[in-house]
Amino acid sequence: MITLSNVSKIYPNGSEGVKDISLHIDKGEFVFFVGSSGSGKSTMIKLLLKELDPTEGTIVINNMITNEISRGQISKLRRNLGVVFQDFRLLPNKTVYENVAFAMQVIEAPSKQIRRNVPAVLSLVGLAKKARSYPNQLSGGEQQRTALARAIVNNPPILIADEPTGNLDPETAGDIMHLLDDINKRGTTIVMATHAKDIVDAMQKRVVTLQDGHITRDIKKGGYSDEA
Amino acid sequence: MKPRSIKYYFREAFSGLIKNRLMTIASIATVAACVFIMACSYCMVDNLRYMLHQMEDSIGIAVFLKGDMTGQEVEKLKETISAIDHVKEVKYVSPDDALDELKKEWGTEEGILEGFDGENNPLSNSFEISLDNIENQADVLAKLQKLEGIDNIRHAQTETEVLLKLNKMIKITGVLVIAILAAISIVIIFNTIKISVYTRRNEITIMKYVGATDWFIRWPFIIEGILIGFVGSVIPIGIAWPLYGKSVDLIYTYIPLIRNIATFKLGIEIFSKLFPIALLFGILLGVAGSVSSIRKYLKA
Repeated sequence: MITLSNVSKIYPNGSEGVKDISLHIDKGEFVFFVGSSGSGKSTMIKLLLKELDPTEGTIVINNMITNEISRGQISKLRRNLGVVFQDFRLLPNKTVYENVAFAMQVIEAPSKQIRRNVPAVLSLVGLAKKARSYPNQLSGGEQQRTALARAIVNNPPILIADEPTGNLDPETAGDIMHLLDDINKRGTTIVMATHAKDIVDAMQKRVVTLQDGHITRDIKKGGYSDEA
Repeated sequence: MKPRSIKYYFREAFSGLIKNRLMTIASIATVAACVFIMACSYCMVDNLRYMLHQMEDSIGIAVFLKGDMTGQEVEKLKETISAIDHVKEVKYVSPDDALDELKKEWGTEEGILEGFDGENNPLSNSFEISLDNIENQADVLAKLQKLEGIDNIRHAQTETEVLLKLNKMIKITGVLVIAILAAISIVIIFNTIKISVYTRRNEITIMKYVGATDWFIRWPFIIEGILIGFVGSVIPIGIAWPLYGKSVDLIYTYIPLIRNIATFKLGIEIFSKLFPIALLFGILLGVAGSVSSIRKYLKA
């Protein structure tokens, strides 16, 4: 599903984002990228989203070599990826329903399909009753659920989450993690960058630890660090 | 492009224009002002050139023939001259015609010319040659000078040079004015769309993340630019056209003599050319403005 081979990213100013990373993620896996700030987590996420191209090595996502595809194919690649961010990135002038429907509209999904899928996804994330609310009328957790609904409404095989619980209190964060676990159980591959130790410890999933741009630890099932 | 997307593009374009309505009005007004001044300059330049052309037509070359030529030789020479490139018309003027003409010009003092009639007419056979364009005068003169049977060639050299210089000056000024105004319009439209793109940068980011194509993201902004360009050129042309007709009427009324020198072009002659140019200009500006302002946000 996702394969990185000897991937390095050196920024134009000379600083190293990641160095010689090789990693394979199978379909249906739930993988945490953990590490302190500056460890390379964000660079990894940006490389997967093709916001950045690697300086060396190749990244293959769903049989597409991301650093070799043309501009026109980027949209095709991105349709394989759902994304959620720490800051939700909802459109403030659109309702919950419209925010989610927007993701389908812009890839030119048939309106019938939009009318069917959006309510289904909203009830999956527990927001069926908030469909007409605007983001500023929602709690942080509800906003992140909306963002999640938007990320999965097009049914992408991979979901990438960049610190999705970073702005949430522990309880709400736990709810979001449950939701992510549900989504994962339905077959979606999930890659999540975080430095929330308790969450990683509680989930007991695959953990890839990054430090100074290198992978220092990769365990199939475990906590944030070896002491746990 | 799918039909339902077209609806989406227009809805988004209109919502963008309405959301930034002050900017929209300001840019339509500025573009309209530029197109209006452009239209006025174009009317002036076009008419001046048209009038110059009429004057140029009246400037010809006079060729005086040697006295000992037979009618047949004169006829043959006329054919030779007619065949020269850029010669539009060759008119034969007999000595009698020339004398009549002279008498008319001298008016009350024609008495001086008494006794020059008939056998005593000192004037010679001549041709009045008109050209397709006075720019070609030098070429034609060179060829005439090589012909046999010509005694003397007269042409209005100073007038020709002045007219040619004027023509060139008007052309350059016109192009310059229009180019400057076009540049101003370009900057204005670009800025409006840049602001519109900026206010919707979050939407653009999300569109990119969920896999919208570049063109899907671009279209609403392109339509926005086209609408600004369209409205900004239709309004001033709609004002300038009737205004032009009125102005020409006024000039004819107050300076009736001008008709003797030259006439103005008809409104339809000018605006049937200017209108599509202005429209195309506005629309192209819209497209170029959106494509360039949005490029930054489409990267990555």
